[in-house]
Amino acid sequence: MKKEQRTGAQALVESLEKAGTEVLFGYPGGQVLDIFNHLPESRMHFVLGRHEQGSTHMADGYARATGRPGVCLVTSGPGATNTITGLATANVDGIPLIVITGQVSLGLIGTDAFQEADTTGIARGVSKHCFLVKSADEIPEIVAEAFYIATHGKPGPVVIDIPKNCQQALTSAQYPERVSLRAYHPESTATTSQMNRLAKLINEAKRPVLYAGGGVISAGAANDVARLAHRAHIPVTTTLMGLGAFDEHDPLALGMSGMHGSAAANWAIRDADLILALGVRFSDRVTAKISEYAKNSTLVHVDCDPASINKNVRADLGIVADVKDVLTTVLSRVREADHSEWLAKIDGWRRKRPLAYRQMHREVIMPQAVIESIDRATKGDAIVVTDVGQHQMWAAQFFRHSKSRHFISSGGMGTMGFGIPAAIGAAIARPEKKVVAVCGDGGAQMTFEEIVVAVEHRIPVTFVVINNECLGMVRQWQELFYSKRYSGSILSSKGRMASEHMEDDLDYDYRPDFCRLAEAHGAKAWRVIDPAKLDATIAKAVRCKGPSVVEAIVEPRANVYPMIPGGKSVSEMVFD
Amino acid sequence: MNEKIHRLNCYVENRPGVLARIVGLISGRGYNIQTLNVGPTEDGTVSRMRIDVLATDRVIQQVILQLRNQVNVIEVTSRRM
Repeated sequence: MKKEQRTGAQALVESLEKAGTEVLFGYPGGQVLDIFNHLPESRMHFVLGRHEQGSTHMADGYARATGRPGVCLVTSGPGATNTITGLATANVDGIPLIVITGQVSLGLIGTDAFQEADTTGIARGVSKHCFLVKSADEIPEIVAEAFYIATHGKPGPVVIDIPKNCQQALTSAQYPERVSLRAYHPESTATTSQMNRLAKLINEAKRPVLYAGGGVISAGAANDVARLAHRAHIPVTTTLMGLGAFDEHDPLALGMSGMHGSAAANWAIRDADLILALGVRFSDRVTAKISEYAKNSTLVHVDCDPASINKNVRADLGIVADVKDVLTTVLSRVREADHSEWLAKIDGWRRKRPLAYRQMHREVIMPQAVIESIDRATKGDAIVVTDVGQHQMWAAQFFRHSKSRHFISSGGMGTMGFGIPAAIGAAIARPEKKVVAVCGDGGAQMTFEEIVVAVEHRIPVTFVVINNECLGMVRQWQELFYSKRYSGSILSSKGRMASEHMEDDLDYDYRPDFCRLAEAHGAKAWRVIDPAKLDATIAKAVRCKGPSVVEAIVEPRANVYPMIPGGKSVSEMVFD
Repeated sequence: MNEKIHRLNCYVENRPGVLARIVGLISGRGYNIQTLNVGPTEDGTVSRMRIDVLATDRVIQQVILQLRNQVNVIEVTSRRM
């Protein structure tokens, strides 16, 4: 019997459904009209963003909150180029995304046709893989392969570029039952001798530290980390991407390490005799000066990506394998241990240099207090999504992270504008959860338009804009390392450099008015200036049934501490 | 910086875009490709690329691992010239 034919566009929609897609983020345009034409009948729920970058970050937030690939559909040319930042963000953090872009018909490629861009050429360096479809018959198989590639090995974003004529052509090709790629076999397991050596190192260590990254979360191995930590009595620090991989209420938790990590975590890494690095890539924001990093420790590095081992830091034992597999195997060979002496030393550091901040002015809200207030209002049970900058570090430091996939942040790329759309994506993925987006006033302005999506879908995200009237992290570096020349970083009319002076006749110091902006988008909004009213305002916003915005006017001179200045070592950590 | 010429032998699936991805991985790090040969193998679906590049051992090791991570790369070997 001849298989029934349908268009490539229909085959795409059908394939996405078969791959398990429930939500499709995106934005229409000329070269994807055939695909959009078949969305109304689809089981997939379509979410219209207001900018393709926003749609891509929504799909990314969805993926980070669930572990399932986020899927995004945009048109050719500017639609496709607007996804590039979102692709790069997901690529460096290892987030599974499928981005489908329309393309001009095959016969027009290379003619500078309207809205033509070399999408696969542009996206190649910021994605895990790109497909350019050449025939409608390829569509089901390419979709299946794209989902496989996005989720196997180190996860990442995959682009499928589909020319319009391939969307319109008829095909009877079916979605394959299984995917077999000739050259891509990322699965790798630890050898017996590696596992024996690992167990021996753990059993013999006197001052061990577990160091968990985003790879622990993507492998679903948080419980295994906790089991190993408790059995062998090992303190645990995480990277920014690993926050939530270990419950920070646990006495063994050291919090985040790195440039803005806790002193106890950084000193524990410095003085450890064994570092078990799990699913990390040793970013320069974590290691600080590389030649000084963990130079007296035995370093074990377990990661699913062979290219990450020995990339930045030499490993005494490098194991390319699934973190969860390694942990479950080693657990049975690890003896119970007591490292009380080591932990007492760490506790001493904790007491000497706790994560703390000082109230700089009695009547001005400290930004760190906003994070603590969110923790109280949600009882610690919220998905916290951040933008990028000072507030991101404070959210990492002052919220007590306890669960995997509950802290969502652009780590490697540091993409301002990520927070608002990613929070919407996360809230769509986890409707039973309270989602709080923490943004600065800089990043919030980059993708504020997406709040309308939360309003339309009545998604109860609370967006907290921590407004310090400047680009705080830039300002902090200028204060500390550039002679307090605040070039380009002051958003208010006050305190600007003479070269950036604004008109004197303006009746305001700061624009936009975030509350009026939020209300214009249809969200409830509150501004809080008085420290005494902070908790009540945050609590009110968090209880809101629909989207809510809190603009917290905070101390503009607050800096993120502790800090290991760029290129310096842990011994040069700066405190407030 | 102890840079030497390394010859990379890559066996890859014969598909559009593969050459660009491989060359991009090398050129994107600021290294010059000195010689590049691409040709078919006996198996028409597999191409062989021979790439000479001046770089340190450490950079080449990292490049090889990243090349092997590519979806269409079957095998990569290298030797110092």
